Amino acid sequence: MTDDATLHIRGVNKTFLRTGKPSVEALRDIDLTVKDGEFVAIVGASGSGKSTLLRIIDGLMPASSGTIAVGSRAVSRPGPDRAMVFQNDSLLPWKTVIENVGYGLAIGGMARAEREAIARRFIELAGLRGFEHHYPHQLSGGMRQRVNVARALAVDPRILLLDEPFAALDAQTREIMQAELLSIWGRQKKTVVLITHQIDEAVFLSDRVVVFSARPGQIRAEIPIDLPRPRDLEVKRSLAFVQLVDEIWKLIEHEVRLGMSLAVD
Amino acid sequence: MTFWQKTYAFLERETRSATLVRVLLSIAFVLIVWELLTATLVTNRLLLVPPQEVFEALMREVRSGAVWTNGLATCLAVGASFPVAVLVGIAGGLLLSSSRLMSLTAGPMLTALYSVPIVALAPLVIAWLGLGFASKFVLVVLIAVFPVLVTTETGLRSTDRGLIDAARSFNASKWQIFTTVTLPYALPFIVSGIRVAWARALVGIVVAEFFGSFAGFGFAILAAGQTFDTATLLAYVMLLGAMGLIGSLVFEAIERRLAPWRQE
Repeated sequence: MTDDATLHIRGVNKTFLRTGKPSVEALRDIDLTVKDGEFVAIVGASGSGKSTLLRIIDGLMPASSGTIAVGSRAVSRPGPDRAMVFQNDSLLPWKTVIENVGYGLAIGGMARAEREAIARRFIELAGLRGFEHHYPHQLSGGMRQRVNVARALAVDPRILLLDEPFAALDAQTREIMQAELLSIWGRQKKTVVLITHQIDEAVFLSDRVVVFSARPGQIRAEIPIDLPRPRDLEVKRSLAFVQLVDEIWKLIEHEVRLGMSLAVD
Repeated sequence: MTFWQKTYAFLERETRSATLVRVLLSIAFVLIVWELLTATLVTNRLLLVPPQEVFEALMREVRSGAVWTNGLATCLAVGASFPVAVLVGIAGGLLLSSSRLMSLTAGPMLTALYSVPIVALAPLVIAWLGLGFASKFVLVVLIAVFPVLVTTETGLRSTDRGLIDAARSFNASKWQIFTTVTLPYALPFIVSGIRVAWARALVGIVVAEFFGSFAGFGFAILAAGQTFDTATLLAYVMLLGAMGLIGSLVFEAIERRLAPWRQE
């Protein structure tokens, strides 16, 4: 593995071929470089192919054309250098917290004692100490999503992929989780790609917001977020923050409205 | 809380002792209704006898040793055929879920077979295999195999896509996905299929013994019926009922243990 965890997305296209129906172009000519240790958020209206791009980066789905590389190494299938945090917590319901957090390590063939030691560390990092032997159904939605993040971090990936990780949470829990994610990221310094619907979430967390247009998904704009770090929830009330959110909202407002009227038809 | 509220709350719980009390309560209820029926409405003892007489008949059968002969015949037949049905059902379900083509091809036929009352084949099976163990064995396997097969396939296919994606994201092999996601997800389905199969297997064994055997609970029930010995007939029915109940409770407990998250 190279030391450089820069993510290179080069000329990625994705078209879904459907038998008996017209094919759907989900992504067109995506070129994006996420620097080592950078936190990039991707926003866009529904149908902009954001999640598809994330699945291609993770290797769950092949691109129709184009390449993904981590450092100098091209990747086309899942690997230990990337880990995904899914929107639905996607934890194994029959496994306890500690087993779920150690799941990726178990798949990688690590012995039980060793992976439990690592899992404990990340359970602590996620603020779940004391819940090691609880089952997912005994936890709140916010706690389950912390387990989900801890599971991804436990395999020590270079790149963390977050697919709308807080979308299913209520507004207050989401705020807390955003702040916690920032503090974890501050300590771990991973390269992060976050997909989100929430523009304020994107601005609050990231170094750069990439705005996608819909049908097909294309990069419409890249907005650097130069708010000082470390950030806390206070930032959300600053003028600079509000202006950034407003600027990005104007870029996608038209398509969101279009999507709504399409849905009504 | 009053005493009644406390009792009510206790009975609603999913604990073992609460389950036991519920079972005892329902047995007591049936016995009381039965006793009242024989005391008031149904006084003809050819049609129905009170629980007391059934219990005495049961004791008579125990003392004469008939209950052991019959019990052994039935339990041997079920004990040999039911595990085979379960194994064949699970293997078939695995096979079908592993290949879409096979599932699509065999699916409609299996659905048809699942819906057909296979008991109706009993006379034919007995004509093929004669009276005794072999025909009982085949009939029970045929009857019990389909619920297991169908639920195994359903269970293996219904796995949450998100869980499989998460496993794939950690670079899990196909075999790892099967052992860590698909199979554990399907297990409670499979056990519920086994539970249904157990009830059907008991019907199968009784019918097989009606038509073609010289010993067994079914044989004893038929013999008692033909001599208008209602008490003995009901005694054997009770024994079958107990077998069904115990099996059902055991499989339910296994199901709960395998899928505790489904309770909430």
